[in-house]
Amino acid sequence: MAESANAGMAGAAATLGGRNGNEGLFLTSLFTALAVWLGLALGLSGLLGGLGDYAPWATILLPWIPLAVAAYAAFNMVRTHPGSVNFTGNRLRGYAIGWLVIAAVLLVIAVAGQPLKPVMDLLGKSGQIIVDFCADYGYFLAACCVLIAVGLLATGARDEASEAPGRVERTFVQKLTAKVSAIPMALVAIGVFTGGTIWTVIFSFTNSKLLPTTKWVGLDQYVRLWGEARWIISIKNLAIYGVCSLVLSLVIGFILAALLDQKIRFENTFRTILLYPFALSFIVTGLVWQWVLNPDFGVQQVVRSLGWTDFVFDPLYNQDIVIFGILIAGLWQGTGFIMCLMLAGLRGIDEDIWKAARVDGIPMWRTYLFVVLPMMRPVLITTLVIIASGIVRLYDLVVAQTSGGPGIASEVPAKYVYDKMFLGQNLAQGFAASTMMLLSVFIVLVPWAYLEFGGGKKNNE
Amino acid sequence: MSDATLAIEPSGPKPKPIFSRRNIIVYGSLIVICLYYLVPLYVMVVTSLKGMPEIRLGNIFSPPLEITFQPWVKAWAEACTGLNCDGLSRGFWNSVRILIPSVIVSIIIASVNGYALANWRFKGANIFFTILIFGSFIPYQVMLYPIVIILREIGLYGSLTGLVIVHTIFGMPILTLLFRNYFTSVPEELFKAARIDGAGFWGIYFRIMLPMSLPIFVVAMILQVTGIWNDFLFGVVYTKPDTYPMTVQLNNIVNSVQGVKEYNVNMAATIITGLVPLTVYFISGKLFVRGIAAGAVKG
Amino acid sequence: MQHSVSIKDLTLSFGNLTVLDSLNLDVSQGEFIVLLGPSGCGKSTLLNCIAGLLDVTGGQIFISGKNVTWTEPKDRGIGMVFQSYALYPQMTVERNLSFGLRVAGLPKAEIEQRVKRASEVLQIEPLLNRKPAALSGGQRQRVAIGRALVRDVDVFLFDEPLSNLDAKLRSELRVEIKRLHQRLKNTMIYVTHDQIEALTLADRVAIMKGGIIQQLDAPHTIYHKPVNLFVAGFMGSPSMNFISGKLARTDGGRFTADGVDWGLKGYEFGTTSGGEQGAVLGIRPEHFGVNGASESMPIQFEGEIEVVEPMGSDTVGWTSVGGSQIKFRVDSETALHVGDRVKLGFDPQRASVFDEQSGDRL
Repeated sequence: MAESANAGMAGAAATLGGRNGNEGLFLTSLFTALAVWLGLALGLSGLLGGLGDYAPWATILLPWIPLAVAAYAAFNMVRTHPGSVNFTGNRLRGYAIGWLVIAAVLLVIAVAGQPLKPVMDLLGKSGQIIVDFCADYGYFLAACCVLIAVGLLATGARDEASEAPGRVERTFVQKLTAKVSAIPMALVAIGVFTGGTIWTVIFSFTNSKLLPTTKWVGLDQYVRLWGEARWIISIKNLAIYGVCSLVLSLVIGFILAALLDQKIRFENTFRTILLYPFALSFIVTGLVWQWVLNPDFGVQQVVRSLGWTDFVFDPLYNQDIVIFGILIAGLWQGTGFIMCLMLAGLRGIDEDIWKAARVDGIPMWRTYLFVVLPMMRPVLITTLVIIASGIVRLYDLVVAQTSGGPGIASEVPAKYVYDKMFLGQNLAQGFAASTMMLLSVFIVLVPWAYLEFGGGKKNNE
Repeated sequence: MSDATLAIEPSGPKPKPIFSRRNIIVYGSLIVICLYYLVPLYVMVVTSLKGMPEIRLGNIFSPPLEITFQPWVKAWAEACTGLNCDGLSRGFWNSVRILIPSVIVSIIIASVNGYALANWRFKGANIFFTILIFGSFIPYQVMLYPIVIILREIGLYGSLTGLVIVHTIFGMPILTLLFRNYFTSVPEELFKAARIDGAGFWGIYFRIMLPMSLPIFVVAMILQVTGIWNDFLFGVVYTKPDTYPMTVQLNNIVNSVQGVKEYNVNMAATIITGLVPLTVYFISGKLFVRGIAAGAVKG
Repeated sequence: MQHSVSIKDLTLSFGNLTVLDSLNLDVSQGEFIVLLGPSGCGKSTLLNCIAGLLDVTGGQIFISGKNVTWTEPKDRGIGMVFQSYALYPQMTVERNLSFGLRVAGLPKAEIEQRVKRASEVLQIEPLLNRKPAALSGGQRQRVAIGRALVRDVDVFLFDEPLSNLDAKLRSELRVEIKRLHQRLKNTMIYVTHDQIEALTLADRVAIMKGGIIQQLDAPHTIYHKPVNLFVAGFMGSPSMNFISGKLARTDGGRFTADGVDWGLKGYEFGTTSGGEQGAVLGIRPEHFGVNGASESMPIQFEGEIEVVEPMGSDTVGWTSVGGSQIKFRVDSETALHVGDRVKLGFDPQRASVFDEQSGDRL
């Protein structure tokens, strides 16, 4: 009975990677503490800040809870490995000293922030930021560093006698560089992308005007949003622009790619010409086409001067078709890029397919349509997602070309969001509108993600 | 018929008549399409070289009778946005000041990220990366205001440094993906050999990976230079009129409601703004294509 | 005697997938061990564990008596040669060779001297100032070996070093590696899927499958006394013939199958269990005596030639016996014709008998 229990323990220890319980607990709780702290300090402090007077306390206290657990685990580790008290003989003392030094520096700045001010002022604005940072979080981070040092000493003492010397350096210390280097990425991923998105969604249920407030109003903002003519027009415009742009980009892009794929001469020249608009900003694109489509000087005037005096082509001044004027400019800017993607897809197709089609006597257009196109499915899906995510962002082009006019006839959601947030002093309306945009992207993104990643773990490493 | 079947031949030399029906169709349509693509550029240049009287009389496609560079000078140094009348030059220098640190910082961070992801796989890294990639599809509008709060908290809202941070953040997904895919394509054995030789995280990065990945750095640079130069939304949200980048200033000049519209000046200003990415595009050629394709096609 | 490399209960798993399972291996000082197996058998993984490029899940690795399970690769006293050469493309050959030494901060004179010695041994002195891109495959692999050589280590690890070379270069470098081993007398652990390399180079061969070493023995033993069906089938080309049937342990063993009843007198059984059991009889194609030569064999039978495959140096004929198709090898002078009858004979002493269920040698 005891034997089987021992075997079970050994198995559990093996699955833990040979770590005993205290070590596992120590690492887990330490990382939890740091993660909670990071999350609170960066993305969510604003959120909690809105929750009322208790929020600052919650922000400060929450990370200490897992840290206390880590301290308990560290205490146990020291107790089971008395050698860790023997500082001079410890194999990992160098690392431990490093962490203790960091802790000391943090503490000094945190405690003596004001007397140190002249020194910190030498660093300019960043000096002030460091002082503020340490005043807020110095104690917590110093405690973390001390615990890490203790943990290192304990494992150093344990390792001396253990069967796996060097394990801690390898798994914890040396891979730490890689982990530390990924901190900016983690901050952006968690703090900005996740935290920011959640923050916006949550505050879309408030009554924020000039500044974010936490006066909850439920779905009021959404009700108001869908009752507003401007938003409805924005959505309609986006739908028309989206469908047309999607279909036309794909069709034109594919035809252009197919033309370029004919082993023609001057392929590079043609491609350079077709792609150059993509290097230009939407602002430049919009302004150029605003000029070309100007009814008094542009295409309309030129055709009229050729004799067709009744010719009418003024999309930017006609409420009914203004969105197509924008579409012309958008397609001009973007189709070259789609063509490039398609061309890459075409070039990726096994040349034997063409030979087989030729042997079977299938005409070229049929081969393109029924053989090659289905084979390009991955490229098509990627292209589709890229076009779609670009459509939702449609903003600069409209601002440059029509500023939403005539009237509000060419408004789009992204412009609505900006105007409400930064011009209309109606933050929550902007949040609600951007949440709707997010929702629409999810509708596109989720099926794509399912197609790309859902069918098993073939993409995972 | 024989022409049609020959036409699907994608490779290999084959004697073909130059004026076959197929060639006329293919080249004819390509030339017509290219002309269409070139028209706006032509109109821009032509308009910017005309005087206003000539613009009012003639049509936009006719070449200038009398070439004048006055609009260019005015666009660069005199055009007004609101009360400022020092032309686009202010925006140009703002853009330069935004561009250089943004490109450098974002590429450094993203290349290290990509390297860590590709070669030093550790738990959790892929979660962050997945969030990052998904994040790149989220409409920026959702994250605009939270970033305003963060920048305000650290006292950088409205400054060029703030905009640099924003560009670094939003450049991160695509650049990290670019570098990760590149470093993944480097044979893993090279990395292993370097580890046996005793190089550590930074040693391998600086001494092995960096020297052999210069092309991808150029690609990333092209991507970032055009992307950041062409940005409008972040510029208008995170800077003040003093620090507006060029695109924002251009839009304000052209679309200002005050005064008489000077189309030649507007077009000159538009060309000047487009000149930087166009130069990058024409110089880099194939690398540009590779960059946007690499950024787009996931690996 | 102290082992040069010693692996104790090594386990490696990725999630639920166990790649290496409680693996034990002791390598003597100066020994040339070849890890051989089909792709995915864990042989390269094992080598990477020894090199310290993979974190093991359990068990220990000792090199020169030191527990190096968690030591960094550079501190293990190993040099490694990779299949794709893994030369740093932007460095010259000389810089490639000296990179590790420069990282370690060795004095310049020492580095120079070591590079010189290694390039002499491998005869790559004229290449020292070239970049890897300007080298042929064989030269590149020489440089890669040189990179391991300059490290002045006890143990060399080779990860399929010849697989990217064409057949001619492969045999040339194979001999060269053998010479190198005879000269340096280092311990070498060599991973390959090529059995010729294994048989020609190794002092001992470890045949692996599913993360487990099936048999660890001298090449001759592996070839002639395979411990189980897998090893028997894996080694040898053309591969061993297998005839399924029943084995009775009477009279020195009797093997019966569809239409055959052979006494296995002379076969040394390693196990003693009695009674009748399902068994597989394995005979290598070259162990058959054909026509005239068959008459001296203890067991003889006849068959009709079904297929003839001339191989150049010899010819392989196919026939059927005991319900199985078998192949036999004759020198290329012997004329075989499809449809002819052929007399075959073999000596049970040279055959192998396996348990049908477990596949183990009996």
